[in-house]
Amino acid sequence: MHKKVILAILLLAFPQFASADSQWILEESTLIYHVSHPLHQSEGVSHAAKGKGVCHAGQCDFLIAVPVKSFESGDSNRDLHMIQVARGGQFPLITVRTHLPEDASSLASIPADLEIQFAGQTVQYKQIAFQHVTKGSDTLIMGTIPLTLTDFKIDPPSLLALPVKNEIPVRVEMKWRQM
Amino acid sequence: MLLKAGKIGVALSMILLLLSISIPVRAQNSNSSLSGAITGADGTAVPNAKISIKNLATDQSTETQTDSSGHYTIPNLVPGDYELGVSAEGYSTNFVKVSIAAGANKTADVTLAGVLSLQDLGISSAQAQGTAQDQARLDKRSHMLKLHQRLGLIAAVPLIATVATSFGAGGRSTSTSDRYLHLALGSATGDLYFMSAYFAIRAPSIPGTQRRGQIRVHRALAWIHGPGMILTPILGAIAFDQKSKGEKVHGIASAHGAVAIVTAAAYGAAILSVSFKF
Repeated sequence: MHKKVILAILLLAFPQFASADSQWILEESTLIYHVSHPLHQSEGVSHAAKGKGVCHAGQCDFLIAVPVKSFESGDSNRDLHMIQVARGGQFPLITVRTHLPEDASSLASIPADLEIQFAGQTVQYKQIAFQHVTKGSDTLIMGTIPLTLTDFKIDPPSLLALPVKNEIPVRVEMKWRQM
Repeated sequence: MLLKAGKIGVALSMILLLLSISIPVRAQNSNSSLSGAITGADGTAVPNAKISIKNLATDQSTETQTDSSGHYTIPNLVPGDYELGVSAEGYSTNFVKVSIAAGANKTADVTLAGVLSLQDLGISSAQAQGTAQDQARLDKRSHMLKLHQRLGLIAAVPLIATVATSFGAGGRSTSTSDRYLHLALGSATGDLYFMSAYFAIRAPSIPGTQRRGQIRVHRALAWIHGPGMILTPILGAIAFDQKSKGEKVHGIASAHGAVAIVTAAAYGAAILSVSFKF
């Protein structure tokens, strides 16, 4: 009798467990933007991104945020100029949202549609491929987001009257852990 | 016998033709439908949620929305596999695969999870929002440094010309016109230099910023060319006076050339320090 009751409880409980929400937490990240100028190339690096993913009914929503001022290029003057042209005083965060099916974590390359808020603009980037590697309990995601200045209505900063290139690809390396 | 075979052939053709016509007609007039309730994670109904359903075979989509009680109904569906998309403000979009059988009234209830917010990342609304004042400060700083840069570059032109004319103005040369030209170019250099310096000095600093990189070299060099730009014209004026009296340049004024060269070199290095990545 007891066995039947326990079995019934387990059967009733199982669907709840099966559909339970799971979460992803961004543990470490490296974001690198690359700027090309006729006189030199420069890169800004940030390790300050925060991120979370919530999965429900087979679908996962991810939100990543990184402060504009957290990018360091090795030259504080250039960094302040970057914050200014990116309107970082008024819009201090860059946020990225994406929506993925939960089973995407089984793919080696994840095509993601990104919604990026930056410099007061929201821009969609479709089908950006991210490489995906599982190492133990961690999931590493790597890829490059092909940002451009015109997408975000940013006037290209110039040095010695020469403007930088419109393309500012952002290399992304993230370590996620499923909770 | 041949006639009989021909009749059978015609009959088969008719049957095949009727079948080929009747299948899509029946499908289009299918009474299949999909309905359901859209709720949030806490079980509350989600009214005005956008419902889109896409036939995975044809890629054709239909849209509707939930009523005030969070219910929706999509009638007249062709049997097949569909992707049901549900989106609503304040919720994350959810997609569900649904198979519709002929004549079936399928139910698909969908629960929407709330959209992740910056607060979920531990970022307060104060951290997420900047101010127009902060941006204005950055804009002012950038604007003033641009002027500093332009005037500084322009000042380099008369500076080079001043150095070039120094050979005719100093030494054993007695040419008065060369000396006046050198004086005029030096004065123009000084004026542009101090205008440029004003914008660099008066540009607002940004609290919490630590100086890193080549800007430190640029600023350090200012401690050489800044005093040099003050000292050079003073020594130049003394030398000018001595030459005008027909005297040989002597005393402290004899350092004018050396001070000017060091100043010009430091100035050139300051420009290069922010122009190229070393």
